[in-house]
Amino acid sequence: MGTAPASRDVTSYGMGLAAPLALFFLLFFVAPLLQLFWLSLHNDTAGLHWGLGQYLHFLTDPFSLGVLGSTLLLGAEVTAVCLVLGFPIAWLYQRVGPKLQTIIILIVLLPLLTSVVVRTFAWIVILGRQGIINATLQSLGIIDTPLKLLYTQFGVVIALAQVQMPLMTLPLITALGRIEPNLDDASCSLGAGSWRTFFRVVLPLSLPGVIAGCTLTYAAAITAFITLSLVGGGQMLFMPMYLYQQASTLQNWPFAAAISIIFLLAVLAVVSVFTTLGRLSRGHGGA
Amino acid sequence: MIMNRRSLLTTALTLGAMKAFPGLSFAQARPLVFATFTGSWEEAHKAVLVPAFRKANADAAIVLDPMLSVDQIAKVNAAKANPPIDVMLHDPGPALIAIGQDLVEPYPVEKSVHYKDLIAEAQEPMGPAPFFQVVGLTYNPEAVKTPPTSWADLWKPEFKGRVGITNLNSTLGTGWLVEIAKMRGGSEANVDPAFKALEELKPNLAAVAANPGALATLFQQGQIDISPGNFNAIQILKARGVPVEFVAPKEGAIAFKTTIHIVKNSPNRELAFKLIEAALTPEVQTTLMNPPYLIVPTNSKVTMGGEIARVLAKDTAELKKKFVFQDWKKINEQRSAWIERFNREIKI
Repeated sequence: MGTAPASRDVTSYGMGLAAPLALFFLLFFVAPLLQLFWLSLHNDTAGLHWGLGQYLHFLTDPFSLGVLGSTLLLGAEVTAVCLVLGFPIAWLYQRVGPKLQTIIILIVLLPLLTSVVVRTFAWIVILGRQGIINATLQSLGIIDTPLKLLYTQFGVVIALAQVQMPLMTLPLITALGRIEPNLDDASCSLGAGSWRTFFRVVLPLSLPGVIAGCTLTYAAAITAFITLSLVGGGQMLFMPMYLYQQASTLQNWPFAAAISIIFLLAVLAVVSVFTTLGRLSRGHGGA
Repeated sequence: MIMNRRSLLTTALTLGAMKAFPGLSFAQARPLVFATFTGSWEEAHKAVLVPAFRKANADAAIVLDPMLSVDQIAKVNAAKANPPIDVMLHDPGPALIAIGQDLVEPYPVEKSVHYKDLIAEAQEPMGPAPFFQVVGLTYNPEAVKTPPTSWADLWKPEFKGRVGITNLNSTLGTGWLVEIAKMRGGSEANVDPAFKALEELKPNLAAVAANPGALATLFQQGQIDISPGNFNAIQILKARGVPVEFVAPKEGAIAFKTTIHIVKNSPNRELAFKLIEAALTPEVQTTLMNPPYLIVPTNSKVTMGGEIARVLAKDTAELKKKFVFQDWKKINEQRSAWIERFNREIKI
């Protein structure tokens, strides 16, 4: 077979492989982002006077900070609902037979197969004054007048939780699938109850999935412009709508740019809290 | 009209790319690009205006690129020297912004055959109004047995929790607020009375929709029974069998001039002029006035008929009497402050 070529380390890799995507990101993500940042450093809408006025305006205005706060809080609520509802499904998925597994994965994926607009409109039909929930409660005689569900924070959280659920469930399924099943038995045979096993073994080992799911759900929930505006209505102001209002209706691009940058940093901060928590608890779990 | 994340992203990306690489949008012979509005406007223009224009201009190539007024402004602004759009369509607020930012050319009035036939309010030298949008009261006739007659009816106790409005992002929301201010002794320069009135309206408010399209669909869900509403938006729902009616309040229905403009530095200036001329002809306006479009004409030679004659006005004289035109120059001066105030004060 002739002489083999000079032996190469098969584990080495060339960064060049990432070049096409990196170039794409550089052009269509980093460059516009820098442009956005540049724009946000101007005090007037025409972009002629440099200054930090837009940031000062936002950070010293209790109303704007309130919008930011309520948006971040909304994300936390949605993430919590998704986690609480999604974890049992993911856990179940790893324990049922293949037939049920197919059904579960289908149900989890189903929302992804329809557009966000359609899913959100379905929620309008469900939550509306003459919607499914109100009609059922009324026919059962539980309530006399329809409850106000649409255009409330409650409605937004529920709708967003359903719309973003796959982003939570899928990483959880993967993470739980990686846990060695014998560990459960080992824990039991060593005298731990099922709850103790869950909190001391399963939960710590599934944390990478929990963190990934939470990060994805959180980021998707707080930027969900369509669902926020259709289910939340025009008087519940969250960051995406605030941004749109300033950029489009008022053509105040520098302020809109500053809002974007602040929003971006706030989300990054929350996400890094998630990852730090994950790292800390992983250390704890391994100890 | 809903702007989704994808279209926002596309616009943002386009803007970025065009700024970074001005060469991308090099000048070349391209078809006439007409940025109409999305939805029923696009349908109407595709079915009536475009064929009329092509017939009169030897099948000249034309492309409809429907988008919101604010997006049109953003796109032209990003490439002023080589605008990607030749003809823009605007609500009164954005029209003044476009003119203020020097994005449009004066309309060649002396060359125009039809300009002088437009009713006086539609004769805008920077771009004439080919039609009006009309805002009045919309209600569900199954729930509201006596048709409302005045804006003040929205405050009636019987409509507790049944009224819908939009926020001030839309022309409709802002125009309505100004009308309420006038009803309570204010004006385009002073909307304080309207904000006080909104405070009193709160018990009646069932919904503050994000845009007029979302507002109209709330009738379908029974979420609201009465609201200020756009005549044309209601016709679409009515055609689908939703129980909803339009009535012009006795204070006058609000008429928004929707104006059509030649974009500055357009490479297709002549064709752009021809398209606008086609939009002003009595023939096109008559066809657009008839079902299913029901678009309110501005050419005084058009004889009003059908639903428009029944609900709005029988002729141009009555139209002028029943319609209220607002001073959007004044409105634009303070609009951002009002939006800010609405953000803060209106929580239900």
